[in-house]
This record gives sequence, structure tokens and C-alpha cells, in this order.
Amino acid sequence: MNTVEVALGCAAGSALLAVLAALVVRRRARPAVVGTLTAITGAAGVVAGAAALLGERFAVELPWIVPLSGIALTVDGLGAAFLAVSGAVAVAAAIYGIGYSHHGLDSRGVQATFPLFVLSLLLVPAAGSITTFLVCWELMALTSLVLVVSEHRRRAEVASAARWYAVMTHLGFVAVLIGLLILSAPADGDTFAAVRAAAADLSPAVAGTAFVLCLAGFGSKSGIVPLHAWLPRAHPEAPSHVSALMSAAMVNLGVYGIVRVGFDLLAVDAERWWWLLVLVLGAISAGYGILQAVVSTDLKRLLAHSTTENMGLVLVGVGASGLFASIGSPVLAALALTAALMHVVGHAAFKTLLFLAAGSVLHATGTRDLDSLGGLRTGMPLTTAAFGLGALAASALPPGTAFVSEWVLLQSLIHGLPAPDAAPAAAPTVTVVVLPLAVAVVALTAGLAVVTFVKAFGVGFLARPRSDAAAHAIESPATMLAGMGLAAVAATVLAVAPTLVLPTLGRVAAGLVGSPAPIADAVSVELVGVTGLLSPVLVVVALVVAAVLVVAIPRVLAGRRARREARLWDCGGGPLSPRTEYTATSFAEPLQRVFDTVLQPVQDVDVTHHQESRYLIAAVEYRRRVPDRIERHLYEPVLSFVTRWGRAGRALATGSVHRYLGYGLCTLCALMLLLVLA
Amino acid sequence: MLGLWRRIRRLGRIAEPAPEPPSTDRPDAAEQLGGSVQIRHVDAGSCNGCEIEIGAAFGPVHDGERYGARLVASPRHADALIVTGAVTRNMTEPLRRTYEAVPRPRMVVAVGDCARNCGVFAGAYGVTGPVSAVVPVDLEVPGCPPRPEAIVAALRTLTGR
Repeated sequence: MNTVEVALGCAAGSALLAVLAALVVRRRARPAVVGTLTAITGAAGVVAGAAALLGERFAVELPWIVPLSGIALTVDGLGAAFLAVSGAVAVAAAIYGIGYSHHGLDSRGVQATFPLFVLSLLLVPAAGSITTFLVCWELMALTSLVLVVSEHRRRAEVASAARWYAVMTHLGFVAVLIGLLILSAPADGDTFAAVRAAAADLSPAVAGTAFVLCLAGFGSKSGIVPLHAWLPRAHPEAPSHVSALMSAAMVNLGVYGIVRVGFDLLAVDAERWWWLLVLVLGAISAGYGILQAVVSTDLKRLLAHSTTENMGLVLVGVGASGLFASIGSPVLAALALTAALMHVVGHAAFKTLLFLAAGSVLHATGTRDLDSLGGLRTGMPLTTAAFGLGALAASALPPGTAFVSEWVLLQSLIHGLPAPDAAPAAAPTVTVVVLPLAVAVVALTAGLAVVTFVKAFGVGFLARPRSDAAAHAIESPATMLAGMGLAAVAATVLAVAPTLVLPTLGRVAAGLVGSPAPIADAVSVELVGVTGLLSPVLVVVALVVAAVLVVAIPRVLAGRRARREARLWDCGGGPLSPRTEYTATSFAEPLQRVFDTVLQPVQDVDVTHHQESRYLIAAVEYRRRVPDRIERHLYEPVLSFVTRWGRAGRALATGSVHRYLGYGLCTLCALMLLLVLA
Repeated sequence: MLGLWRRIRRLGRIAEPAPEPPSTDRPDAAEQLGGSVQIRHVDAGSCNGCEIEIGAAFGPVHDGERYGARLVASPRHADALIVTGAVTRNMTEPLRRTYEAVPRPRMVVAVGDCARNCGVFAGAYGVTGPVSAVVPVDLEVPGCPPRPEAIVAALRTLTGR
């Protein structure tokens, strides 16, 4: 028995135990018992993933669980990386959930579903056959849907969000189902090994169709534009620890699916246009997601849009990797894929932290609206510190977590450009056009991400409270702080010492594209094959030294002069009211103006006049919102078409029994006719 | 070009001669300044007559800035306050705060009869009193409104030029 097997067994056992406990333990102790057992599940997942990443391999077939095909589990390097990430997110979310579960979240159904969701997140990357994969995928979709609707009694919007999520996730499932069935049809059995062996015989058209279907299905799970519409709805409405799991672990599995199909199952059929498609979709998602995040005023919606952005960046890495593999530079391919995997890991850490901190704010103030928050620093210092750390990590600025992965990604994209003296045949035209654009998109999103998180942190947590709820916020319970603390430690470690995981991820990526490991085993991030060196430790030391100097020098200089305390100059008119502060809307206004043509905000001004005179104004009402443009142009026509069809279909069902019997007769006759003719 | 140089050399300096330095005693605080005084103007309840004359004192004709006096936008940047009008009730506290916000050494110039002794508004229900009732006054400029020459003379007393 190897470690992976034991750990996965532990994970499944404790998850099932947690389900049982949720059903029998009484309400008061329920969140604690379920949370602890689920955290053990997650920890076992981390152990399994880590052991598999360090070289252990594991494969098992359990034919007795599901009839006809059975369950096959295989943990290889790629699956192990995602397994470990899901497990780690689950640990933090489960511990956090102990303190967060109240007001209906401690009911039997919700508490029993949570461990099942975590288990499905662990099993999807561990699946070794298409049936297993699809069963776990559907289990993940259903359990997450149940968790999304868990607060439907408290807020009316939950129902609408859940409907969107249910429809889109199942449309995605159908796409994945068809895609994978196309792959498994010619194969001998449905294990991944069999599919891989049969992939060479597929015609390019079939393989391309299967890949595009899988890309659509997995992309909708990852929140890739234009299939992102569910994400900013469902993530904010779910309980925050579930949001963290969905946004930091579940969306990753979409990327896992794309990488698994494109780099593993269909590796022999992969064509350049597949990866161009992935890269372009990723770039559009990254840019569009962060633009929506910049103008969001709902804290959790902002984080959900940022998830779209980060998954877009991951897909840029994946697409670039496939592109490099197709033009015959495996070193760069491995580097880009490593960057994508590292971004998945880093994003999981900081997005968990941010969603948990946002949940803590929601728990304390009851609102997610940035425009009525502020001043949380005094009441909730630890949550503020946690969110600040997460915002720094998400901003792609040194010493942040996202910085390392985006740096590696940019290195691979920049080195992919042909040298000026290279022969024209060395690089096809398409890379010469696409790669500089990709670099520009990554740079633009990095800049906009800084604005987004400065806004979220500055407006939401600093300054003075804009509402009574924010003024009287108190710190969250210890378990919630412990969950955030774990995520904060993970984000910090990944920022300061990324080489703990980066060379391992590099080996995983290298194994997929068949190249030497792209990252050297060293304290600093050292690229192999192309020149590039980054020392996060030195960056941190330099920044700390600079910060200390900036703080210390004015103190030392000012120490020589007489000092006097004076009140802040407020034009003599008395203290400024919080109404004069920057709000999230006003902070983002200049950028919204810059990107006016892309965002197309809608503004209404209603002026009400006095009855006596048109010259006197009683009230001015100003409304502005930024509707999701893609959603409006893409989804609304489809929705109205479906509605019209539904109406037309209703004409068939008149309620007359005779008519229904007539339908039955016609169908029967048609079938008979068909049989006779065939 | 050479013609231009020649013309400059031939004309020499044609500016008016510098006026005599002010003869009156400078306030003690002004002695600590090096000939440049940054001034914040506070309207404590003026009818805007004095403001027009202050504007004229810094206009192109009288040009108070050539003597080292300069209007600034915040008391934090200022060495002196120039206060106009009788101090109204609503402006009493802001005036006091503005005075507190000026770094030391600091001076206050009361410009106009209202600032000196409330003028025609003395005893009105909305008036707290003259400027000296709220903050210590170092220099007064009489007149309703004072002529720009008088204001410039007061500014020169501060700058010492």
C-alpha cells in the first residue's frame, strides 16, 4: 500500500463519516464535527497529492461501486497537482466553515453536502476513466448547486443565481459528455490509457470537434468568456467558504480538463488552431474579467470577476504552451505550462484568502456593497490584514503570489518571440502576431488588477465607515480566523519561496510536453533553457529594507525639530463626513471613462420638479450601472428565443385528452413506418 | 540678433527706482522671516469690498508680490493671515482653527474697518466682534475699503522690503 492509496482512502472515509455525522449529530455540535472531518478529508487530499507529485503512482479499479463500468482512479503528476490544490483549499474552507455556519447553514442537508462536494473535488483530478470522471464531475456540479442555494431563504437573488448556475453547468456537462464520448467510442474500454492509445486513429475533424466540445464544457466551468455568466452570480450568492471552494478549487478543474484532454488524451492529434483558440479565449477572459472587476462595487462579485481574469491568464499559459509545442520548442512549452500550473496554485491560495476575508466582512456587517463599507481596520484588524495580504498577492506586484507565476508566463511569452536575426521559417507568422498581443494583455490585466485590489482594500477596509453596520463591525470567531490564517500562510509561502513547488510543477509540465524540467531546483527561480532569474527572497528583503528606510528617515530627520500635534486641516469647517470619501464607484470612474466603449455603462438621470414651478427642483435621482455587455448581446437573444419556443410549444398542449391520445397514435404510426422502411 | 543686443545695451535699465524701505516698525514675528511672507486670506464676514482691494493690491498695477508677499491656498503654507470683515458667528470657529493651522511664527493682518472694529456692523446679532476678539492681531489697515496702496504698505511692513 502506498501513501497515495492510504491518503485517498482516508479522504473518502472521513468525508463519508462527515456526511453521516451531519445527519446524526445534533445541531449545535454539527458544524464543528463536520468541519473537522472535512478538514481531515482535505488534508488527506493534500497528502495524496504531495506524495503523487513526489513520484508515487497510484491506480486502482473498483468495479463493484458503479455498475457496468466501475470506478477507476489514477493519480499521476498532473492530477496530483490539482488534487493537492483542491485539498488545501478544502482544509482552509472547512475550518472556516465551523465558525461561519449559522442561520440555516447548519442544517442537515447543507452540512451533509459540504463534505461530498470536497470529496468530489478530490476525486475529479484522481479519476482514471471517462465514466469515473463524468460521475465525479456531475457529483461536483450537483453538490455545489445544493450549496449555492443553501441561503435561499434569506435572499431572493439566490434562486436566480442558482438557476443560472444549474443551467450553465449542465450545458457544460453535456458538452463535456459528448466530447469525451466521441473520444471513448473508438477506444477499447473507457480508461484514460485506452483513450490515449486510440487517439492516434481519430481523424483531425473528429479530434477537433471533441476538443472544442471539451473546451466549451470545461471553459464554462472555469468561467471563461463568453461562458462566464454564472460565475459573478453564483459565487457571490453562495456561502463564503463554498465560494472559496468554488472559486479557488472548482474552477481549476475546468483547466485540469482542458490540459488533460489537450496535452494527455489527444496529445498526438493536437493542432495549432486548438491552442490559438485557447490562448485567444484566455486573453479575452483575462481582459474582460478584470475590466468587470474594476467597475464592480459588490465585494464578492468583484472577486468572482477576478476569478474569470485569473483563469483567463491560466489559459493564456496553457494556450501558449500548446502553441510552443506545435512549433517545436518544448522548453518554452514546458515553461508556459509551468506558469499556468503555478498560477492555478497561487490563485487558489489568494482567492481562498480573499473570499474567506470577504465572508468575514459579510458575517460582521451583513453587506457586500463596498460603497457602504469602510473603516473595518479598527473593528476587524485581523480580517483587514488578511484581505490586505490577499489583495497584495492578487495584484501581480512583487512580492505577491501572482507576481511569480505571471513573471514566468511573461518570460515564456517573451522568449517565444523570434530573435531579430532568426530565419523567417523559424517562427510562423501567427506567433509573431499573437505573442506580443498576449504579452500586452497580461501586462494590461496586471495593471488593472492592481487598481481593482487597491479599490477593494482601500475603499472596503480603510478610511472611515460609510454605514452603521461597518462602524460597529466586530472581529469574526477564532475558527474563521484560523481558516483565513491558513490561506494567508499558504499565500505568503508561495510568494516568498515559490521554488518549494515551482520545480515540481515544472517536472509535471515537462512530463506532459516531453522536455527537460524548465525550472532549476534552487532558492531563486531560475529558468532552464532560456535566461531568466528571479529571487523572491531578495525582492522581499529589498522591499522591507526600502519600507523601513521610508518610515525611519523622516522620523530621524523630524526628531531634530520641535514637533507639535495639530488636527488635520479640514478647511476649518469641522470634521469631514464619510460622504466626502472616495467610494468604489467614484474610484473606478476614471477607468470606466477610459474603457467606455468596451464597458458601455448605462446612466439615468431623473429630475423631479416642484409642482408650483418648473424652475425649482425637488429631487434629482442618478443611477448608473455597468451591465455585462457580452451577456446582454449573447444571452438575451438566446433566452428570448427559448422563451418564444416555449410559448409556441405550449400551443401543442391544450389540455385535451383526445389530442394527447392523437399525438400518441401519430408517434406510434411514425415509428412503425420507420421500422418497416428500415 | 546683434541689433537686438545693441539695443539692450543702449537702453540699459529702465525700471523705476526701488522705493524706500518701509519706515514703520515690523512686528516681532516678521523679524524672523527672511523677507518673504506667504499669506492666507480669510473672509470672516466681509462685504467683498476689501477683497476687491486685496485683489487690486496683488494685481499688475500695485503688484504686492514684488515686495515678497504672496497669497497661498492653505494656512499650512502660510506665515500670515489677512482677515477681512467683522467676524460673524459662523466664521468664528473656522477663523480660530485657521489661525491654529498656521505654523509659528505667525501674524495676523486685519484689513478694513470691519475687521478692526466691526464698522457699521458693530452690535449686529450675527457678529461675534472684531478680529482681535478672536485671534491676536499684529497689524491693522484702516479704511472702508482700504486703498490698495495702504494694503501694499502693510504688506511691506511685514516683508521689510
